[in-house]
Amino acid sequence: MTISTKMTTVGAAAIAAVLAAGAANAQDEGEYGILMKTLANPFWGAMGEGVEDGAEEAGLDYFIQAVESDQAAENQLNVCNTMLQREPVAMITAAINSTNLLPCLSQAEEAGIAIVDLDGNLDPEILAAENIDITFSIGSDNVQAGAQGAEYMVEQLGSDATGSILVIEGLAGNVTGEQRAQGFADRLGELAPGLEIVASLPGDWDRGKAANITNDILTRNPNLLGIFAANDGMALGAVESVFGANKGGDVVVIGVDGNSDAVQSIQDGRLTASVAQLPYLVGKLAVENVQASIAGEDVPDRITVPTLVLTQEVLEAGEEPMLEFVK
Amino acid sequence: MPMTDERLWTRVQSFSIDQLHIRIESLIVLILLGALMAFLSPFFLSVSNFMNILLATSTIGVLAIAATFVLSSGGLDLSLGSVLGLSGVVGAAVAVKLNAPMPIAVAATIGAGAAAGLVNGLIITRAFVPAFIVTLGMLGVARGLALVISDGRVIYGLPDAMVYLGQGRPLGIPMPVIIFVVTAVAMHVLLAYTRYGRHTLAIGDSENAARTSGINVDRHRLSLYVLSGALAGLGGLLFATRINSGDPTAGITYELTAITAAIIGGTNLFGGRGSILGTMIGALIMGVLQNGLNLLAVQSYYQQMAIGAVLVFAVFIDQWHVRKESRV
Repeated sequence: MTISTKMTTVGAAAIAAVLAAGAANAQDEGEYGILMKTLANPFWGAMGEGVEDGAEEAGLDYFIQAVESDQAAENQLNVCNTMLQREPVAMITAAINSTNLLPCLSQAEEAGIAIVDLDGNLDPEILAAENIDITFSIGSDNVQAGAQGAEYMVEQLGSDATGSILVIEGLAGNVTGEQRAQGFADRLGELAPGLEIVASLPGDWDRGKAANITNDILTRNPNLLGIFAANDGMALGAVESVFGANKGGDVVVIGVDGNSDAVQSIQDGRLTASVAQLPYLVGKLAVENVQASIAGEDVPDRITVPTLVLTQEVLEAGEEPMLEFVK
Repeated sequence: MPMTDERLWTRVQSFSIDQLHIRIESLIVLILLGALMAFLSPFFLSVSNFMNILLATSTIGVLAIAATFVLSSGGLDLSLGSVLGLSGVVGAAVAVKLNAPMPIAVAATIGAGAAAGLVNGLIITRAFVPAFIVTLGMLGVARGLALVISDGRVIYGLPDAMVYLGQGRPLGIPMPVIIFVVTAVAMHVLLAYTRYGRHTLAIGDSENAARTSGINVDRHRLSLYVLSGALAGLGGLLFATRINSGDPTAGITYELTAITAAIIGGTNLFGGRGSILGTMIGALIMGVLQNGLNLLAVQSYYQQMAIGAVLVFAVFIDQWHVRKESRV
């Protein structure tokens, strides 16, 4: 008796859920599918917010998904394939590396779905070799971001400084990380030839790994002058190691992303600076532009969103107009 | 008439175990789960979605087959994911950097896996270091080696013939699915119907009894780890050809997922019981769960919770049976 009553209630709830889902999926303009990396990193969280706000403001139907970590490459591919089942009109994807979503994007392109490379994770050469024609790529100029990091570091240390610098790269094989590290290294060489990069190691976007790398390099080079990390998560890990070694304030630590944790750390006087990307703006502009493209307008192949160096002074003055997009 | 129902149910269960080598409960769970997902999402019941489920399950599925063999013998292989990554990189490097023809590259991929398995097996059987430790060490060594060979980047651009293995769709069925199913059937026959399979289960059930009855336990164990490594290599081949590149970070944490699938399918963690068909059902339960929740756009964190719950539930059912059977 009890069992059959339970079954009926479960059944009724299930049917109600299906009907509700059906009503919500009113496909006038079609659905926009958004695939992020992991929402655990506030950077991607902010970008996700930007995409959602952009879609809501434009009155679009969308569904957003993420995977459990920055390294779940195959899982992201599987999620991507499953998203195609819903036949979206656009797929806005932040690929974990330059190749893991290729089969899914190939299928999407054949189905005539607009593809947006969110944050420039795809390699244009590989896309060309695979005959995948994406609608556009949007992101910060990562080479420029690295260069801005170098410029600020030289500002702090002086162009005739001599000493050791540590570079902590991103996930092995990721284009974004490579561009930032390279941008930093090139500009640093131009501006301050006396500063030597004693180590450039992959931190895999992981706070813990970056902390360990910093500890090891500090042991080897106790007079380390500066650390550049390819993202804030890793920079924050490095900062903790620096303070743990009682060198807080002696080492210039610069991250990239400008996420909320980094902003807090800069205001507290721990992290020196972060080259803020404006992920919220990137997300919003991605949606606006893909909507325009689907409506038939011309949209550039590569949309660059500027980056902003956040320091304690900039944050305290609060005058910089782009600060509203730093979330 | 409760008596007759119970007898009928017991007969169904024994038939299932004896003839099909699977626990009927896991099959029922799979069917119910499928029905639930079909109910909840209009996109679930379609041929292309089923192909997606099988495709998503194929890499883990091959690893789960490896895990089934090793677990059945009372062993453990924690290096499966790293060996998958290493094999993919080796195959890609041989194909792209050495410009080798496709059959050589494929052989290199599976061979790299088998070689890693051989190292595992030799240390376990000759140096008497526990399997947990040896394969844990190989987990690190293989991953590091993959990063060294690839210099940390993906090796892109495999030859077309090789890419076909991952992206071809003869008769609309993805090649990895075909390879996975064929492998599973072959391995099921090996484990359930051959002397090799019986010896594997015997060693897991009681190593001393197996040794006394004349089985060369060490040699058999060694062959199991080589087989496990080769299957991990096959998994590496399937994934690398799907994305047309050797990715040194492929397969991270896969060994745990593979073991989970094997256990959900009825393999005993401590050895003595295991079936490939059961493992496939276990892998499909996880695949259906993930696919269904993806279609509903549920975040993957909940998926992980769901899989953890299913795992504990599956072992509970299993243990309940074992206790019932051991009651005289």
